[in-house]
Amino acid sequence: MKTIFEHSKVGNLAVTIRPLTVNEYKLDANLLRDNLPLPEVSEVDIARHYTALSKRAFGVDDGFYPLGSCTMKYNPKLHEEIATLSGFCNIHPLQSSDTTQGSMAVLSTLSTSLCEITGMDGVTLQPCAGAHGEYTGLMLIGAYHSARGDFHRTKIIVPDSAHGTNPASASMAGFEIIAVKSNEEKGVDLDELRKLVGDDTAALMLTNPTTLGLFEKNIEEISKIVHEAGGLLYYDGANLNAVMGIVRPGDMGFDVVHLNLHKTFATPHGAGGPGSGPVGCKKELIKFLPNPHIEKNDGKYEFVNSEESIGKVTKFYGNFGVCVKALAYILTLGGNGLKEASENAVLNANYMNANLQDIFDTETNRFCMHEFVLSLQKLKDETGVSAMDVAKSMIDKHMHPPTMYFPMIVHEALMFEPTETENKETLDEAIQVMRDLFDDAHTKPEYLHSAPNNAVIKRPDEVRAARNPIVKM
Amino acid sequence: MANYLTNTNEEKKQMLEAIGAQSINDLFCDISSKLRAKPLCLSEGLSQQEVLDIMLAYADQNKVYKKVFRGAGSYYHYIPSVVKNLSARSEFLTAYTPYQAEMSQGILQSIFEYQSLICRLTGMEVSNASHYSGATAAVEAVLMCAERKRNTVVVFDNVHPDTIEVMKTYLSRREMVLDIVRTENGVVDADLLANSLNDNVCAVYVEQPNFFGLLENLSKIAEQVHSAGAKLVAGCNPIALGLLKNPAECGVDIAVGEAQPLGLPMNFGGPYLGYMACTSKEMRKIPGRIVGQTLDADGNVAYVLTLQAREQHIRREKATSNICSNEAHCALIASIYLSSMGSNGLKEVATNCVSNAHYFANELSKINGITLKFGSEFFHEFITVSKGNSKAILSALDKQGILGGLALNDDEILWCATEMCTKEDIDRVNEIVNEVAL
Amino acid sequence: MSKIYYSKSHEWALVDGNTAKIGISEYAQKELGDIVFIGLPEIDDVLAKGEAFCEVESVKAVSEINAPVSGTVVAINSELEDAPELINEDALAAWICEVEFDGNIAGLMTEDEYAAYIK
Repeated sequence: MKTIFEHSKVGNLAVTIRPLTVNEYKLDANLLRDNLPLPEVSEVDIARHYTALSKRAFGVDDGFYPLGSCTMKYNPKLHEEIATLSGFCNIHPLQSSDTTQGSMAVLSTLSTSLCEITGMDGVTLQPCAGAHGEYTGLMLIGAYHSARGDFHRTKIIVPDSAHGTNPASASMAGFEIIAVKSNEEKGVDLDELRKLVGDDTAALMLTNPTTLGLFEKNIEEISKIVHEAGGLLYYDGANLNAVMGIVRPGDMGFDVVHLNLHKTFATPHGAGGPGSGPVGCKKELIKFLPNPHIEKNDGKYEFVNSEESIGKVTKFYGNFGVCVKALAYILTLGGNGLKEASENAVLNANYMNANLQDIFDTETNRFCMHEFVLSLQKLKDETGVSAMDVAKSMIDKHMHPPTMYFPMIVHEALMFEPTETENKETLDEAIQVMRDLFDDAHTKPEYLHSAPNNAVIKRPDEVRAARNPIVKM
Repeated sequence: MANYLTNTNEEKKQMLEAIGAQSINDLFCDISSKLRAKPLCLSEGLSQQEVLDIMLAYADQNKVYKKVFRGAGSYYHYIPSVVKNLSARSEFLTAYTPYQAEMSQGILQSIFEYQSLICRLTGMEVSNASHYSGATAAVEAVLMCAERKRNTVVVFDNVHPDTIEVMKTYLSRREMVLDIVRTENGVVDADLLANSLNDNVCAVYVEQPNFFGLLENLSKIAEQVHSAGAKLVAGCNPIALGLLKNPAECGVDIAVGEAQPLGLPMNFGGPYLGYMACTSKEMRKIPGRIVGQTLDADGNVAYVLTLQAREQHIRREKATSNICSNEAHCALIASIYLSSMGSNGLKEVATNCVSNAHYFANELSKINGITLKFGSEFFHEFITVSKGNSKAILSALDKQGILGGLALNDDEILWCATEMCTKEDIDRVNEIVNEVAL
Repeated sequence: MSKIYYSKSHEWALVDGNTAKIGISEYAQKELGDIVFIGLPEIDDVLAKGEAFCEVESVKAVSEINAPVSGTVVAINSELEDAPELINEDALAAWICEVEFDGNIAGLMTEDEYAAYIK
């Protein structure tokens, strides 16, 4: 399809603004640019172009989206309406606090709710995404050790099954990274961990449930090992959707957590963002949270800065518009509703897993949490059909593929996270699709190798894209 | 009460049977009872109608100003209906990052177009798919410039204070130094810049216009910075680029900025949009996602996420950045904004901003006791000085439903005028200020 | 007369007296898959044996190339900058850089030893 630039015709105009009501001011000619090659299109061109683009996209509203570790749950329409209320979106961030009490109440109430859900004592809403939250959380850990004069704690331990952002964030925050191996049940190998911790350990970063979708049963022992060595425990909240109201990171021994409001708290992913990555921490770390904090004094919210804060991690107060939606979600579900959401997320995942176990290898025989990982290694050995082929074939069945080739410690991995907002009928359909594809892999593997066969494009040439990058027109 | 769940109790029973569990609770048997949470101390769930009421009440506690003359990093501009309407389509809003190219061509093409629009605006050759905000884009841009033997970043005291604060944070736990250099008459001073340049400096960061609203001589700064072997990163207001010489022409190495003015509401500070563009020499160092054009197996044009080897999911701790989620939907909004404004529209918005601001500044300076702090050329923001009057002026305007400029101290106010105000609005502000100043 | 040696991390060094051309083995090329980019060293860079001196990227992976010998870079194969696929096409012809070194090849394998090593 054409790009917007190819619709351009000189002289076309989509939007008109009020003519000048004062005399035109002319900047000195040597400050000015010669040309501005933006498209010149009519409003109907714009409307048709973007509508056509939207028809070549696939959102949660379009169908099943079982992307493991991404929590693609339904995004309630109410939230979109609320976030666009003039009283929220037309507020300047530097208005006096007298005139922004409503926004501050939203931020404060959301922080308090997230403290309760995670078992933490303080929360900042400033980070704009999960990785930004990781960075912020690790900076808190750095500040904590430094404030105690413990300058040699320079190492962050990360499981080999971790998402790539964990080591990348640790490195940005100035730490060295050590990987700890997984044991047979794909949890942290305790003996390995005991060998790795020491007086240079700043923290261990962990998701629980793990990236395999299993609850880390040894969490109490892990907490003991890390804390006895003087380190802290960091909770990557990517998988919180399994355990809301069931077990809290704070009660498991975690000192710092980050959450992804765009996963667990139903704010839309927006094709990659904006998200929000709040960070919670225990009492001893509160004073290091980014500036400013919100405090309520004499019934009035105020922004307060603390001396020992790590500073700011972005402009103003973070992604306020995302926070509004997350608060609406928490208010709607309430404490019980959040627990029910997690329970149903886990039920849905186990149901799918149970119906696929006979044909695909799952990682263990335990109940999974909100997601599960299949290994298609055997299928590949037998038929030559890879996890990628199966994933791409799902596109022909109008389902978004699961996460592929992650975690890296599982060969030919497909990771499914159905979420709680899918019904049994959808799950049954997806199960049938997977079973049909298993059969197809044996009878007509070529068809899977070339999948998708009914999408708007066939498989793209990624090598060509990376060798001779064309990144603009 | 509303919970967005979809299965009946009967279906749940069937599902548990298929799993071979007695109850949902069984599924959590790996979690020791000692660890299990008490019921969360949150209010009961509510109906959607009640939630709307609560949120409306919060919104009502905020004051929405009829007229806004404050900028300072968050700008009040006209947002065309076509931008709001099209960007709200759920296929865009509820999609994930386009890792599955075959099913995300619409998203990928929209990002490719965003990159192209940003490149055209800045004159650069490569743009990423977005960063969190102008401040984080600035920080990651200076980090891109760090070399083994060069670890100092130079910024000026006329840069947005939040950007300086964010830089302090990001450089603090690395072996890097932030040198905040004084400016003269509100703009970068050649001698002071020369004094701060040495073999350790990897990057110099300036803003165009700067925090005081003044225009910098980017070409001259670039020359000076390059002759010292450092790189120039410039944070440019994208509306101003509708008129101003683009950063690439001026010799800037990495152009970044806050693209909130391109169709995003002020939103109490976020979500905003950090744009980031560079020369092709820096292409493999730029953080964040990039979409590239290629061909599919049938030889048709296709779009994919490319140059992924830079990113955290492949390079892990050696990645140039940890960024994963970005501000994709905000980038879509900016794209629709730029496409619907077009060359003429954006120029017109910029012209209205600069014209209104100059009329405004000129009228204010006619008032007895009020002077303009700086004499050099500005875009749509400027600072007035009025002895001890900041508070009184702003509160008088506030009473009339007008958000005045930002008080920098008791004497100084940073004003902003965009295309949203008319001569009548400006005259009204002048009247009110005149009464206070008298 | 030049002679080829291999390192355990799959680089080759084509040694001719006190100079050596360096590249990656056919085996390494196959493991990496389609190479899309190579970050070449610069002339006068000092390489330390066993330490990374350049990176190659395939679509889904990045690998460091270790120096098989210690020495100073005297030439680079800039052809690879625009055509990294030459490594895939003929890994033994696609040299990355040439170094001047003291002739010390301790720890490297001969062609036959390497063939046995990768079996």
